[in-house]
Amino acid sequence: MGSTDGIQADIASEIEVDAFRRLFPLRFYERHLSESVRPDARPLNKARDTSVALGAISSADGSALVKIGHTTMLAAIKVEVMTPSLDSPDEGCIVGFDVFSSGMINLKELSLISGKAAWMLYLDVYCLDADGALFDAALLAAVAALSHLRIPVVSVNDDGRVVAMSGEHVEGKSVREPINREKRKLTFSCIPFSLTCILHQKYILADPTAEEELIMETLVTVVLDLSGRLVSLYKLGGNLAYNSTVQDCVALTRRRVKELHQILNEAVSDMEVD
Amino acid sequence: MGNTKVIAAVYGPRKVQNWGQQINDQALVRCEYRMANFSTGDRVRRPKGDRRTTEISLVIRQTMEACIMTQQMPRTQIDIYVQVLQADGGTRSACINAATLALAAAGIPMRDLVTSCSAGYLNGTPLLDLNYVEDSAGGPDVTLGILPTLDRVTLLQADSKLTMDAFESVMHLATEGCMAVADYIRRLLREHTKQLELRRGV
Repeated sequence: MGSTDGIQADIASEIEVDAFRRLFPLRFYERHLSESVRPDARPLNKARDTSVALGAISSADGSALVKIGHTTMLAAIKVEVMTPSLDSPDEGCIVGFDVFSSGMINLKELSLISGKAAWMLYLDVYCLDADGALFDAALLAAVAALSHLRIPVVSVNDDGRVVAMSGEHVEGKSVREPINREKRKLTFSCIPFSLTCILHQKYILADPTAEEELIMETLVTVVLDLSGRLVSLYKLGGNLAYNSTVQDCVALTRRRVKELHQILNEAVSDMEVD
Repeated sequence: MGNTKVIAAVYGPRKVQNWGQQINDQALVRCEYRMANFSTGDRVRRPKGDRRTTEISLVIRQTMEACIMTQQMPRTQIDIYVQVLQADGGTRSACINAATLALAAAGIPMRDLVTSCSAGYLNGTPLLDLNYVEDSAGGPDVTLGILPTLDRVTLLQADSKLTMDAFESVMHLATEGCMAVADYIRRLLREHTKQLELRRGV
């Protein structure tokens, strides 16, 4: 009897904690923060487990599924041939994400025939499960999809149109000159990674969950590239932040960039082994 | 299902959002079907609410409505969202199966699981679960949805001409397909429930 009583008491206290969490979310969190721990047992400055899976969608030219905790993002890229604009005859373009205007990819690499044809990359990012830090997950998914992307082999046919070439045709019809000799990867000049932090009183919480984002409103997102240069920084609304706190966020991001880079590299090398 | 990848999410039963749509003696079932831009071979930007999307949403909604015990949850709303991530034929069936699983996982009372499978007829042979290439050959494509334990048909969609004999063999094949899917789904659900049980520590 004693043991069942114990279990029942446990359940009762669990229900009480749950009720307290619902009714006074801020106090519930502040109580945790004063102990330097979060309800999901993470220290304040630690991000959630992150995983990257490349090539989740076979109908796209490049794709990646990214999970940060429960947040799940799926990014996929389709390539198409377009006529480049007159201002930049030997540049392709990317549609979808504005961070890439930061010169991460040399757009000249996307050129096929100067002034006639260039690649257009359509990048779509879908959020499958939203549990906070959506921007971080979306950016990581986009970057991973780009590093999974292989530009297909194409040639120009007699009508002057660009057609896809499969492996066998390259030898059989040598009349058609392939413009793109082999399936190639893009080269990145810099890779952006980001970290979102919540500022609450004197605490900085890295990689917030949806619940945390809802309760505490001051959010700072820092985007850095591999060499530690600042690519962009968002802080929309919320309370005023000190310069030093923002500096701390940047320092946290710097550490996170290394982590993310390693995760991405592992995913890419895993794929190449397969 | 093969190269077709679908994801389904169910919300509810919850308060009816649009008060005017509330039904007093049963639940309101809504369904939204969407295709990702990158899901097909050629990238097409589909505006939200084009004809194909609306039709499939309707098909899924009516199929699921037939098996949900809507009378048990009056004045509520159940939302089903299905998103196609990768399309390679048979998206309708895949969506219905995904929706069934999601509804069951959400614990919504249902008469039976609905399972669905498509079948076609090509060069005199009935084929089960056509992929995109087989489907684009232009032969008939029959999508069947059944309630496996009650042995009832809830969905039957067929287009193009088909002789009665051929139809019967196609129908027979599709039923077998549905039964196979039903077995698989039941096994999945049982495993899922077992895991939940373990996590609760019961």
